[in-house]
Amino acid sequence: MRVRHLALPTIACTLVTAFCAVVWHGFSLEGSRRVDVSPWVESAKTLGAGNVVSSIILGVRLMDTLVEVLVFAVAVLGVRYFLELPHGRARAEEIPESHLVAVSSAILLPLILVIGGYVTIYGHLSPGGGFSGGAIVATGLLLVAAGVGVERISARFRETALERAEWGTLVGLLGLLLLPIPFGRLPLTDLLPRGTPGALLSGGTVLPYNLLIGTKVVLGSWVIIHHFLRHRGEI
Amino acid sequence: MNGATVLLILLPIVAGFALLHHRRLLAVLGMSVFSLLLAAVFLLAGAPDVAITEAAIGAALSTFVYILAIRRAGRLVVAACDVPGLVHEDRGVVTGVEVDLLKLLARSAGLDLVVQLMPPDEVMTAVRRGDADVGAGGLLAGEECPGMARGPVHLPTARFAVRRRHGGDRSTAVRPFRGEMADLIESARRGEAIAVELDLARLLVLTRACAAEFDIIREREDAGYAFVVAERRQDLLQRLTAELELARRSGELEQLVRRHLA
Repeated sequence: MRVRHLALPTIACTLVTAFCAVVWHGFSLEGSRRVDVSPWVESAKTLGAGNVVSSIILGVRLMDTLVEVLVFAVAVLGVRYFLELPHGRARAEEIPESHLVAVSSAILLPLILVIGGYVTIYGHLSPGGGFSGGAIVATGLLLVAAGVGVERISARFRETALERAEWGTLVGLLGLLLLPIPFGRLPLTDLLPRGTPGALLSGGTVLPYNLLIGTKVVLGSWVIIHHFLRHRGEI
Repeated sequence: MNGATVLLILLPIVAGFALLHHRRLLAVLGMSVFSLLLAAVFLLAGAPDVAITEAAIGAALSTFVYILAIRRAGRLVVAACDVPGLVHEDRGVVTGVEVDLLKLLARSAGLDLVVQLMPPDEVMTAVRRGDADVGAGGLLAGEECPGMARGPVHLPTARFAVRRRHGGDRSTAVRPFRGEMADLIESARRGEAIAVELDLARLLVLTRACAAEFDIIREREDAGYAFVVAERRQDLLQRLTAELELARRSGELEQLVRRHLA
C-alpha cells in the first residue's frame, strides 16, 4: 500500500531530476556548441521591436500565437458551458475571508494592476507581453475575489457585457490579422510603421497584438475564476 | 558551484517536498516555490519572457486557484452542539474529547479542522445538506437518523433518568433531552420541574452547573457516543472507523478522556 503511494511521487521526482540534469548539461556546454539563433534574431529585428521574443511570436510566428489564443478561447468556452449552474442549483456558499487578506488584497491590487499593465504595454520592448501581463492582472483579480468575495465583484460587471468584450477582442485580433488584405497586402503582414526602436510606439502591430491578447487573457481568466469559485467543486 | 547549479539541485528537493508533504497547503506552497526556482533557472538561461510567464502563472495564479480550492475541499467541517467535555468553546478555542479525536482524523487525511457550533437539532440538517462533513457533540449511537451513517461508538456512556427531587413526581416519564444544555441549566436554576433522560457528559454538565439536588437513576448501560456522516460519504466513514480504532488501541483515547472528562 505504502509502496504504491510512493510510486507516483518517486517517478515525478526522477523526471524533475532528469530535467535538471539536462538543463545543467546545457549550462555547462561551451558557447560554440549552443544553437546559433542569430538568423532568427536578425529577421525579428526587422520588425522594429526591442524584445526579440515578442517580435518572433507576434511577427514571424504570429499564426502559432493566434492558434494559442483560439485554444484559450475554446477552453474558456468549455468552462462556461460545462460549469453553467443548472436551474435552481444552489451556489457554493461564500467562505468568509480574514480581515488581513481583505485589507492586503486591497493594497496589493493597484500594484499588481500597474505591473500587469506595464508588462503588457512594454511587452515589445522588455520581457513580457500580453500573455504574462494578462496572467498577472488575472492574479490580482483572483486575490481580490478571495479577499472580498467573488459574487461582490461579479455584481459590478454585467455578464453579457464581459462575454461581448471577450469575443470582441478575439474578433479584433482576427481583424488586425486580416486588415492588410483590403490594402492589397498579404494577411499577417505588418501594416503599422516600425517607429524608432526603443520608443513606446514602435514595433508595428506587436503593441496592439499584445494589448488585445492581454485583454483576452484577463477576461478569459476572470470567466474561469468566476465559474470555478461559485461551484462546490462538482460538475 | 554557481547559482544555476544550486537552483538545479534545489528543484528536485522542493518537488519532493511538494509531492510528499501531507498537508495540502504546504504542498501547494512547495509547488509555488518550485515555480519560482524554475523561473530563476529560465532567467539564468537567458529566457526572461518565459521566466515572467512561469512566475505569473506557476507561482501566483495557479497557487491562488489551489489555495481557494483547498479552502473549499481541504477542510473537515464538523457541525457540533456544545457539550462541555466532548465539544466545548472556551474563550474562542474549541476543545473536548470529540474535537481532539476529529483533529486526529483531520491530520491523517491532510485536512484542516473547522468546528461549527450550532443547536443540536441543526447538526443533523447541516450534515444531511452537505454543509458539514461530520456531526458531533454527544450524539448517541442508538438514535434514528435517516440518510446518515453512524461511526462506531468511540465512548461508552449510560443513560440517566434525571428528575428534580422536590419539583417532580418520581413516576414522571422521562424523555431523551434534545435541546441545548444552557436552557436546561437555566430552567433548573429557576426551580422548574425536570424529567429528562441524559447521557453522562450532559449529566456532569448539569450537576456541576446547578447546585440543586436531582433524583438520578441509572437506566440503560448500552448507550455510546458516535459521530454521524452523510450516507454517501462512505470513504470518510471508513477513515473515521480506522482512526478511532487506532486511537483506542494506542491508548490515546484513554488519555483524552482523562484530560477532558476526569
